[in-house]
Amino acid sequence: MADKNKGLGKLGEVFHGRSQRVRELKKEGKKIIGYPCAFVPAEIITALGFVPYRIFGDMKESVTEADRALPASFCPVMRSCLDCAFKARDDFVDGIVVAHSCDPQEKTARVWESYIKYPYFHFIDLPGSLRAESLEYFKGQLTDFRKTLESFAGKELSRQTLIAAIQSHNKQRALVREVYELTKPDPPLISGTEILQSVKAVLSLPVEEGNQLLSEVIGEVKVRRNGPEKKPARLLTWTSTLDDYDLMDVLESGANVVMDDSCGGIRPFRVDVEATDDPFDGLARYYLKEVTCARTFKEAVLGETTKDYDKDLEKRFGYLRELVRGWNVNGAIFLLVRYCDPFAFEMPGLRDYFSRLGIPSTYIEYDYTEGSLAPLRTRVEAFLETLG
Amino acid sequence: MVFGGVDIGSTMTKVVIMDGKAAILSAIRGPTGAEHRRLANEVMRAALEQGGLKLDELSYVVATGYGRLNVPFADRQVTELTCHARGVSSLFPNVRTAVDIGGQDAKCMKIKNGKLIDFVMNDKCAAGTGRFLEIIAATLDLKLEEMGEISLKSSRKVHISNMCTIFAQQEVVSRLSEGDRLEDILAGLHDALASRTAALARRLKVEPDVVLTGGVAKNVGIVKAMKDNLGCELLVPEDPLITGAMGAAILAREYRMEAERKGESISRRPRRLEEATFFE
Repeated sequence: MADKNKGLGKLGEVFHGRSQRVRELKKEGKKIIGYPCAFVPAEIITALGFVPYRIFGDMKESVTEADRALPASFCPVMRSCLDCAFKARDDFVDGIVVAHSCDPQEKTARVWESYIKYPYFHFIDLPGSLRAESLEYFKGQLTDFRKTLESFAGKELSRQTLIAAIQSHNKQRALVREVYELTKPDPPLISGTEILQSVKAVLSLPVEEGNQLLSEVIGEVKVRRNGPEKKPARLLTWTSTLDDYDLMDVLESGANVVMDDSCGGIRPFRVDVEATDDPFDGLARYYLKEVTCARTFKEAVLGETTKDYDKDLEKRFGYLRELVRGWNVNGAIFLLVRYCDPFAFEMPGLRDYFSRLGIPSTYIEYDYTEGSLAPLRTRVEAFLETLG
Repeated sequence: MVFGGVDIGSTMTKVVIMDGKAAILSAIRGPTGAEHRRLANEVMRAALEQGGLKLDELSYVVATGYGRLNVPFADRQVTELTCHARGVSSLFPNVRTAVDIGGQDAKCMKIKNGKLIDFVMNDKCAAGTGRFLEIIAATLDLKLEEMGEISLKSSRKVHISNMCTIFAQQEVVSRLSEGDRLEDILAGLHDALASRTAALARRLKVEPDVVLTGGVAKNVGIVKAMKDNLGCELLVPEDPLITGAMGAAILAREYRMEAERKGESISRRPRRLEEATFFE
């Protein structure tokens, strides 16, 4: 019987009761800041003594309340987040921080703010492209965020505590990357569902507690005997957010999911925040450039008037090459959430890139509802049948 | 040895029994319905009867289609995409693109040497499926089977602008009241369905030979509209409904042969024709 106080046993507990720990901490007087996207610098939240809590949607919760504020043909993930907020699922949250990652998120933030009065609300504007000017502007935005959060905290942010917070969050990134090292063997030592649980669990805990949990899980996984079964396909899943256990389970019914580019996966942990003299430089650079989300326009070189398709593909998707090779991926599934244009429009280029890598791929659109699991299963199975 | 393929579609259930030389011994189709999803055994019983066969003569059974998990007497489940690809290839060896328009879904498959290599499916929207034609038939008080022929009489098709089946229905009624001719409206509707399906197909590269299957392929108006929209020749099997079940039966034979070659036993509990229960 797994020990529920540490490692894999605790992982299950935390995952299934994701808000439990922050509710406990709130009773002890801590304040919780929720954020629905990987572009929000949780380091600043931690450094000012708050507990950052990553908000995810819930595929299993039928959207009933959000209809009064958002249209139906709209990002179902944001609809779900707002729906859960209306249903007071996150009533332990003292404040919300939203980044301008994409239009639906920005619009939903406005609606969110006007309907629910949190003690604290902040919107960080995030430039769409990667230019020197964007970086400077974004650093200014982070400074504004710091100011309002300092005001809410009733204290100033010290450079030292921010550096320490960055180090703790970087340690978490390194630990998650260590978890992914465990999927390199064949069969992998840890399953996609377990990784999903780990990511969602640590993003619901204070950073140090998350790090402790990850270390324990890594230790246990390395020595256990009953790891995942070997399957003929080693998949990479690319998506905005794969955050549902049963969806991951559908993917793993006939394959091992060994790598991903997903917010419920490696995306928030792929590389570290650089240690810079002014920590805001490192943070701005990381959050603008290193979060590999389709919303970012990577081809923004002032003065460049001709486009080179091959160079363009490499700029947009080059980071995937190392993941595919290093993890011996032999198939890729691109999971598109309905109405998500930024991710959908990556398809021609992304599929081309993977075909150049010699990796078969398919894209599957789903609408982030429980009912989408059955059609998804058919498509996943059919794709795996083409590999077999 | 004989092999069974069971294709439980959203609208129709099809069973094909083949011998070792891939000759069809019997083929049965029946409506799936709400209750019949549990009763694949009934259709199988009818197929066995038609072929003069007994259940224990079946060496291997593959189930496919939406209801493939509801076939307790099947040895394996394979998706309808792989099965259609196999079935169509057995009839048309040079097929590269297969388009299947079913009762509630449409799928396009790229095939190479009989194997499925890529696919795209639509099952979230009725426009572009048989359901579209059923709704229109009901609106116009026509029989489903006569719509295609009538549409071919048109010399000036009426363009139906609406993407959605329900709104298209409304548009039809207003067109009629404006005095447009039935055959012209029907031609426009067939064109609307075909253009949806062709757009789906074009997400893959449409290469000849192109084969059209599914119940909707029995509609001559659709066949013409698909040719016009895809801009190429189309091959249509004599029985466009059973290619999935055929493919399943062919795969059943292949799996059986492979198991024998590897010396694997396929013994499992004795096959019984029974309803699907969900608590086994």
